[in-house]
Amino acid sequence: MYEIVVHKIDIKSHMREKTERFLASFGLAMDGDVEYTIIARIGDRIIGTCSFAGKVIKCFAVAKEYQNIGISERLLTEITNVMFDRGIQDSFIFTRPENKVLFEGFGFKEIYATDSIALLESGSRDIKGYIARMFKNSGLDGGEKAALVVNCNPFTLGHRYLIQKASENNIQVVVFVVEEDLSLFPFPVRMNLIKEGLKDLENVTVLPGGEYIISSGTFPTYFLREDEEKDKAYQSLDAGIFGKYIAPVFNIKKRYLGTETYSKTTDEYNQAMIDILPNYGVETVLVERIEVDSKIVSASTVRQLIREDRWSEIRVMVPDSTYNYLLSDEAIPVIENIKKSNSRH
Amino acid sequence: MKINKVARAGTMESSDIFIMVQPGDNQGLDIRLSSVVIDQYGNHIRNVIMETLKSMNIEDIELTANDRGALDYTIRSRVETAVKRAL
Repeated sequence: MYEIVVHKIDIKSHMREKTERFLASFGLAMDGDVEYTIIARIGDRIIGTCSFAGKVIKCFAVAKEYQNIGISERLLTEITNVMFDRGIQDSFIFTRPENKVLFEGFGFKEIYATDSIALLESGSRDIKGYIARMFKNSGLDGGEKAALVVNCNPFTLGHRYLIQKASENNIQVVVFVVEEDLSLFPFPVRMNLIKEGLKDLENVTVLPGGEYIISSGTFPTYFLREDEEKDKAYQSLDAGIFGKYIAPVFNIKKRYLGTETYSKTTDEYNQAMIDILPNYGVETVLVERIEVDSKIVSASTVRQLIREDRWSEIRVMVPDSTYNYLLSDEAIPVIENIKKSNSRH
Repeated sequence: MKINKVARAGTMESSDIFIMVQPGDNQGLDIRLSSVVIDQYGNHIRNVIMETLKSMNIEDIELTANDRGALDYTIRSRVETAVKRAL
């Protein structure tokens, strides 16, 4: 009998192209952020493949005539072993809703599904327990709340304005800060500047966003754009997870959103919130951005001004706490990075 | 006895069971089982895992098991291996 072998491929070699062709026959593409790829083959013929990026298992396919003979099992075992050796014990899978059952057989559990995509997590993870712990650790009570999700890269007067609006019109406000450390300003710095900049607003609580709010596990395209259809699917997933799991536990009744002029991703993301959150009893409130000297205040504008060393313009866009940080020694490496990069984040 | 790191044993192939263990947070034996035959043998598999852990004097552990129709001796050996790797 022919022998099926499973092994790693060098994603920079010609094997990548072969694997991409194989994936294309399923209407799948090799995502740009893939770190590690394995294939199953007989002779020179690829009959299955699987990859991962961060905590996410993706780009998984097995040729139709070789399904149900244990190839998925070998691919998944191999990829999770490699992930494990790299310290990733829990994983996520994005897949088409029709493949959900296959992965459920491997102990994965559905978190959320849209018409075009389903997000599952491995059996060792538990979104409900995680969110319950997040709430317990926050020390918040069960009263009704308004919420915002912010990255604040870095914290500007625009963020301050938006959060102040929420603070004035609601009894309690929770600010979730994107925890994933893929932004130019590191998470602890962003967190500190937000807390400093909101110190006087007593009904506002600032919390780390954790693993289910705009994390690369649940929302990879926030950090790395793919095609439009994929972006849209991921945005709906993130909105859905917020509505289904986070809002009920924290008793969130409103979500505040800033209008977005410069970032298409954020603009579409807002639309996903507006479409989906009302289904979970969460009202969305869209707040116009503020302008200073007819320029819209945004973190991306501030980063651009940093690149151009236009400090007097930065001064009027950020609160004292952010400005003092930018002038401090601690900020030197961050500013150097900003000047080197053209990243959206 | 307590384990002090994360470890796993087994595969996701048919007739095997994949076990992952990590130190618990004083919740006793916390077992999360998924199985292709959970309706028929869920309780039995759970008992085999429990007994194996008790025979090794493990009192506090978080164990994730993904069963693909393993027989008892496979379950026992996979649990034992995972625990020993985590000591």
